[in-house]
Amino acid sequence: MVKSELIKRSPLRIFEKSIHGGVDKGQIGVLASKKGVGKTACLTHIAVDKLFQDRHVIHVSFATSVEHIINWYEDIFKEIAKKRNLENAVEVHDEIIKNRVIMNFNQDRVSMDQVIKSLEALINDGNFPADAVIFDGYNISDESKSDLETIKEFAQRLKLEIWFSLSLQEKEKQLFNEKDIPIVLEKLIDNVDVLINLRHSGDYVHLQVAKDHELIENREMALRLDPKTLLIAEE
Amino acid sequence: MSIPDITKLRNIGISAHIDSGKTTLTERILYYSKRIHAIHEVRGKDGVGATMDSMELEKERGITIASAATNVRWKDHPINIIDTPGHVDFTIEVERALRVLDGAVLVLCSVGGVQSQSITVDRQMKRYKVPRLAFVNKCDRAGANPFRVRDQLEEKLGHNAVLMQIPIGLEDKHEGVVDLVKMKAIYFEGPSGDDIVERDIPAELVDEANEKREIMLDAVSMYSDELMEAMMEEKVTEELIHQAVRKATISQDITPVYMGSAYKNKGVQSLMDAIIAYLPNPLEISNEALDMENNEAPVKLIADEEKPTVALAFKLEDGQYGQLTYIRIYQGKVKKGDELFNIRSKKRFKVGRLIKMHADHMEDINDAGPGEIAALFGIDCASGDTFTSYGLNYTMTSMYIPNPVISLAVTPKDKKSSDNMSKALNRFTKEDPTFQTYVDPESNETIIRGMGELHLDVYIERMKREYKAEVETGMPQVAYRETISIPADYDYTHKKQTGGSGQYGRVVGRIEPLEEGDYEFSNEVKGGVIPTEYIPACDAGFKRAMEKGGLIGFPVVGVKVVLNDGQFHAVDSSEMAFQTAAFSAMRDVYNKAKPVILEPIMKVAVEGPTEFQGNIFGSLNQRRGIIVSTVEEGVFFNVEAEVPLSEMFGYSTILRSLTQGKAEFTMEFLKYAKVPQSISEELIKEYEEKRKQEARK
Repeated sequence: MVKSELIKRSPLRIFEKSIHGGVDKGQIGVLASKKGVGKTACLTHIAVDKLFQDRHVIHVSFATSVEHIINWYEDIFKEIAKKRNLENAVEVHDEIIKNRVIMNFNQDRVSMDQVIKSLEALINDGNFPADAVIFDGYNISDESKSDLETIKEFAQRLKLEIWFSLSLQEKEKQLFNEKDIPIVLEKLIDNVDVLINLRHSGDYVHLQVAKDHELIENREMALRLDPKTLLIAEE
Repeated sequence: MSIPDITKLRNIGISAHIDSGKTTLTERILYYSKRIHAIHEVRGKDGVGATMDSMELEKERGITIASAATNVRWKDHPINIIDTPGHVDFTIEVERALRVLDGAVLVLCSVGGVQSQSITVDRQMKRYKVPRLAFVNKCDRAGANPFRVRDQLEEKLGHNAVLMQIPIGLEDKHEGVVDLVKMKAIYFEGPSGDDIVERDIPAELVDEANEKREIMLDAVSMYSDELMEAMMEEKVTEELIHQAVRKATISQDITPVYMGSAYKNKGVQSLMDAIIAYLPNPLEISNEALDMENNEAPVKLIADEEKPTVALAFKLEDGQYGQLTYIRIYQGKVKKGDELFNIRSKKRFKVGRLIKMHADHMEDINDAGPGEIAALFGIDCASGDTFTSYGLNYTMTSMYIPNPVISLAVTPKDKKSSDNMSKALNRFTKEDPTFQTYVDPESNETIIRGMGELHLDVYIERMKREYKAEVETGMPQVAYRETISIPADYDYTHKKQTGGSGQYGRVVGRIEPLEEGDYEFSNEVKGGVIPTEYIPACDAGFKRAMEKGGLIGFPVVGVKVVLNDGQFHAVDSSEMAFQTAAFSAMRDVYNKAKPVILEPIMKVAVEGPTEFQGNIFGSLNQRRGIIVSTVEEGVFFNVEAEVPLSEMFGYSTILRSLTQGKAEFTMEFLKYAKVPQSISEELIKEYEEKRKQEARK
């Protein structure tokens, strides 16, 4: 299969369709689940899909090492290439991987303002035409309101699509409210444009829309995670 | 001689900015540990002149300060003081010296504070996870401020720097220090500061001492639950503090800060106490070797003298008694008369004379155990070699030697320099396998080759400084390669039948891009259309053609040659004829296979303060760099990028000016990649110009 066909057939087209075209420039999407369910894999899949479309992605990681993230990209690229029998896989890989930068921060030691400053330095001084920024492993709490506002302002100013992962603490008794909004996000939900929960049901992890732009409603996406590869797949 | 208690042993380095008094401090340590008998001033006789360097001092005093490792003893603890290279470049030599250390003392000037060189050295130590103590020297100088230096350690180097002392008086009133653990004032009396006198803390310093002790305890107790508990119950003991400081220092969570004035004999003994109290013994540091039988997989070494031996030759020194090889033993022991195996040269040798270096003499020893540093006489080896018990295939340094990516011509300025240059090159190539040298048969120039501009610069500088060889250098040359991008068929007949014995050979087949490897030859000739005896000649002919590519005259790589048909002549065919046929066939078909130029791409890592990241990103982008990742922690950030080597010339100067000298970079060869079209055209044009000029000559 050639690259353009692969893009067309990606399950992420269904993903976008089910949330009114996806997360637009200047908007924030959140992927929420308990630890170890597959958020990083999902975010990386979203990122790789953008790279396939020759778009530029910055992956901001707060938790793991750079090598770890690089391995995720390599694995997910390999899986997609294998599944779709991609032509010239090595060349395509080398070509698209140039459009990805990984930035690693220590959340305890770097403020959100500094993170934004660094992103802007890369985009402006480093001449990196970013289309999307992925925030992985950032600890969202009740105090994150101003951080989210800062990011939103930044996203709108630089016309960027933003994705967040949200880790839900296992020990909390109640993780979601009656509208399937994670409790920690309740007060911040106005700053979020799209919210998708990853939830176990039956043998699979399903993708569930909890907020779709103006709509707050609980709706299954007809997508699930492939249990072996953790890729987003059609049901 | 029995092997001493290894838990008492310390292998340390003393690293310092150029004028912060490393030589004086080292000499004082030698004096107090009774290795030398009197203190001689390092300063010139007039008392104000420039400081003498250690080489001059050595000559005058007949002692060895700058030897690779000097053994001293302090309070029943043997300490090896290992020379840390003064130059802070990214050569294998620096890496080796840092591997041998278990801990280090960072000497800082109380006036100058943390300067750029300290930043570089410190960052390297961080990379190699060396636990450190800081010593703020020259507290007797006008403008001395150890508190400011501590702040700089935090701000500029990112250390969690903890004051363990406060000064009693500064500048010309500097008398001693207050020990914040013992809560005592310590004075160093007598003409050479030998008498250590403890008194009560002077009344005017009590409040400050209490305050700083609180800060120290708060910082240290973060890493010790026992101390934390004891603080809450107000049952803090000296022993508890020692344990906590030791633990946090070894894990590099804190850097204890000491102070004094080596020149005025203040504070040195306290520092020595701290070295043995807080820096790790060899058992507390984990060391790894690479297992050659298992694809260089890392294996942990165990500091047990009963285990098979693993030792690293970290420094060669030409002394008056011949070549001395300094080794550090990581596992097992080295005994006089034992047989050891040199992993690199695959040669066995017998341990002859084994010695320990002291400042004023060398001591013959019978054996040396794990963690120890010793020296061997008369061993033929290169530095960086690993010695093991026979049968153990471990190496301390990777055997993988990358191909040099840059070369430049060096021309000695006169006869004397010429001799010295050969000596220097001979030594350097022994020390560093990535540094190579050869004489270009065409230009008759000596060419040096290495892993980057900086790498070659270091050696040119050392030629001048250490070997007094004045040389002129040519422009650096990037080692380009050529390769083909599509398969192409060839059919070539070499025929010469005019007069004398003729030549005849025909080769038919195809060339195709090879994913891995430089060259592959596949013989698919059937039915003896080319007799078997001529096949190797064909192989040789193709190979020879690949030495110089048709685009810009650089070696061709990544080609598979298939030979599947041909023709021979019973009389006129010969090896020579087939070699020529293959050579010409390759030259002929080359352009049909869409050749491209490859250039070395370097993995570049830049480290510096976050405030300069915009400039750094910009400079990489301008150099066709692809930014791969960044890591930001506190005020420091580092970025990893892939940049073509040809764009990296002069980058150190640019980077310095962009960042006020506060950033540094390293680079290593990553891969070869296709040169962009526009640059390829330029290179081809240049090459053609050059050929035209040569033809005119």
